[in-house]
Amino acid sequence: MALLSKATSLALVQNVHRLVGLPNGFPPPEAPPAPRVRLRAPGTRSAEHVDVAVIGAGPAGSAAALIAARAGLKVLLLERGEYPGAKNVSGAAFYGSAIMDELIPRWWEQAPVERYLSRRVLAFMAPETSVALDFRSARFAEPPYNGVAILRPKFDRWFADQAVAAGAFLLNAAVVDDVLWEDGRVAGVRVRRDGGDIRADVVIACDGANSLIAKKAGLQRQFHAHEMSLGVKEVLALDEATIRERFQLSGNDGMAVEYIGSITEEVSGGAFLYTNRNTLSLGIIGQISSLAQHKRRPYELLEGFKAHPAVAPLVRGGTVREYSAHIIPEAGWNMLPKLATGGMMVAGDAAALCFVAGLYLEGINYAILSGIAAGETAIAAYHEQDFSAASLARYETALKARHVLGDFHGYRHAPAMVNSERLQNLYPAVIAHAAEQIFRVRGEPKQKIGPIALEALRQHKVAPVELIQDMLNAGRSFGW
Amino acid sequence: MRIAVCLKHVPDITTVEVDPFTGAIDKSRLLFVTNPADTVALELALQLGGERGRVLGMTVGPSATEAVLRAALAVGATRVLRLWDERLDALAPPLTARLLAAALRGEGMPDLVLCGTRSSDVGSGQVPALLGEFLGWPVITDVTQIELEPHQARVQRRLDRGAREVLEVSLPAVLAVEPGLAQLRHASFPGLMRAQRAAIPVRGVNELGLNIDELVFALPVHQAFTPPRPRSRPIFTPDATRPPHERIAAIVEAGVTRKSGKVLEGAPQPMAEAIVAFLREQGFV
Amino acid sequence: MVTTLEERMRTVRFRVDDRPHILVNAGICKDCSVRACVYVCPANLFVPLDDGGILFNYEECFECGTCYIACDKEGAIQWSYPRGGYGVTFREA
Repeated sequence: MALLSKATSLALVQNVHRLVGLPNGFPPPEAPPAPRVRLRAPGTRSAEHVDVAVIGAGPAGSAAALIAARAGLKVLLLERGEYPGAKNVSGAAFYGSAIMDELIPRWWEQAPVERYLSRRVLAFMAPETSVALDFRSARFAEPPYNGVAILRPKFDRWFADQAVAAGAFLLNAAVVDDVLWEDGRVAGVRVRRDGGDIRADVVIACDGANSLIAKKAGLQRQFHAHEMSLGVKEVLALDEATIRERFQLSGNDGMAVEYIGSITEEVSGGAFLYTNRNTLSLGIIGQISSLAQHKRRPYELLEGFKAHPAVAPLVRGGTVREYSAHIIPEAGWNMLPKLATGGMMVAGDAAALCFVAGLYLEGINYAILSGIAAGETAIAAYHEQDFSAASLARYETALKARHVLGDFHGYRHAPAMVNSERLQNLYPAVIAHAAEQIFRVRGEPKQKIGPIALEALRQHKVAPVELIQDMLNAGRSFGW
Repeated sequence: MRIAVCLKHVPDITTVEVDPFTGAIDKSRLLFVTNPADTVALELALQLGGERGRVLGMTVGPSATEAVLRAALAVGATRVLRLWDERLDALAPPLTARLLAAALRGEGMPDLVLCGTRSSDVGSGQVPALLGEFLGWPVITDVTQIELEPHQARVQRRLDRGAREVLEVSLPAVLAVEPGLAQLRHASFPGLMRAQRAAIPVRGVNELGLNIDELVFALPVHQAFTPPRPRSRPIFTPDATRPPHERIAAIVEAGVTRKSGKVLEGAPQPMAEAIVAFLREQGFV
Repeated sequence: MVTTLEERMRTVRFRVDDRPHILVNAGICKDCSVRACVYVCPANLFVPLDDGGILFNYEECFECGTCYIACDKEGAIQWSYPRGGYGVTFREA
């Protein structure tokens, strides 16, 4: 090919030389067209005006855009990625099937779903041992499915397409840098492009965990490093048959495992593993302050997790298809922003609506719920043409009605509890130690479980006062 | 100034992953972009056209390739055109060039056609040459610089070993530009909105005044051969004892020393044998 | 089987802008002994220099925000997202 192309180009260049100097045998070009009138010089305000501008086409943004567009509002959905989901990372288990069913009936028949999570495992990890609670339910494998495994670049793209089908206008590659103010209330957004000012009656910020827009608008404060965790993740390729066999699954059933304990060594955090159709999603989560304090690199912890004797056989033979990282707002109730102001609401991770409480690791469902609530509030405000702070304060009422704020308030003590040193490392080690003693056969008199447990507590130097305090704390966080 | 730009929708080469065992490309991993050399052509078209310029962006391909035309509209192309026919199932350079030439005839001839010198996927570099042939226009490939003058262009062209040549060519002409010469401008917000809203016109084979039976043809193959594998050359490193400026000069020249030709004399047979021996030694035979 | 960070990073697609979206203030970093950014960055983009400064390579950034959250030096990391159309693009995450 190279030879051919060179020969052609040489011949044609000779042709050019021949042409130069010869009278032009081609018709003369037409007179130049009249100059085009520039409507707007670069950098000036664009004439664009929409009813609702939604920042971020993740689950919260697409839900808000879909709801508002269905009600006939003019909705602009702004996504900074090349496509919705291009910048988004989750585990990803999605436990909002019933909620999604309200929006898009029988959504699972058309959405890119990897597997239905009918098996949930909670594993307590010590360096060489692990104890797991393994739950299976045939009912979770039936519609509307309790939870599903998804891959965000595919799922988010599909969900945004549903908003577009409902009439929302999706614009990719549009980074929003700030909100515009008018008469003391938010009146639009500024996209980082020439002519990027857009007027909007309502701005719904769904710009994710960094929450830059909520901070710019003064609704969110700066984060502390102990409130945020970093998740690093791998998608591993493994063929479908191997996944079914290895995880004892049939058909499209799937499994979600959450690991707590020493899996992130001295760093506060945990790990996860989800089965997809022909890949596994797995990763570790580490509290940012804890990573910094212990000077631990997240990808080394990920490597350690994959090498743990309880995990290595599960990931054996899997090749890395993609590595990714994202932050998670973990402080729940204690880091909720001011949810609304005049002309603006905040939803999803941007509003820190991420439910992290050991047993639970949920965010997409709350993102969709808050997106719906924000969309409905925008519709009500639009009908009354009242976009004041008082009008949009109804968003909070809507979030309460959908049990979002109730969940976060109820579990407000859980994040600190889950990230505490004793729950992170001590108790999983005690449980694993006790389990080892219970199952070990030595040919000596069999001890009863009570003395074994007491001995395990003593060996790990658990102070009785701390234990009782933690039990009360756990009760307050999860029990009542 | 009316400038037509040919744009190709290609996989981003960083997303092309080949299975080492089967040699198959994993299509699920591909992300598509405008061919990098074509984005240079588009940027140069916008610059050369100036405020009064009219830039027509064209591509050949199914509906997914609209993305490159929307991207062109977003940065300021005046008009775009997609050429495709459901009866076509694959692209070949002669077909692409025929469709492009027919479209240009139908749309009113531009003053200049800019192409990327080759695509980053197949990269045969044939379309600009064939397009020039079908239009009956001069073609210059490997272009590194363009200056427009009334009715003609002064063009710098890349030659081997870092050499350049400057050519003058009468317009209209087809110029194929090298990748990396210019970075495509960042679209404005109104441009992006306009591009997203635009309906992209499509021209089929019949609308272009062509006959499908004449387009779907097998390329005549006169002779197929595998060229000999060239001898591998050691990487040149300059003599470390030389002063820096001499070493830099040596690196810039890539270690190539001008060879003087060897002149053979004598009877035809020994000369022929010497030539064959030389070709064999050089790996050509 | 151990996967190196380099192997992992090769699985990610980045469209690199010609301008950095994150700026690191070398003057402030010189007075910092904590250097949390060096450890927490999931792409290992912060490189300590001999002169006490920090070199930041923006090209393969996940845009996660961990660095500025971990950093306790006011003004050391000026953080934003890349321009539209640039930066990381996940295909499967």
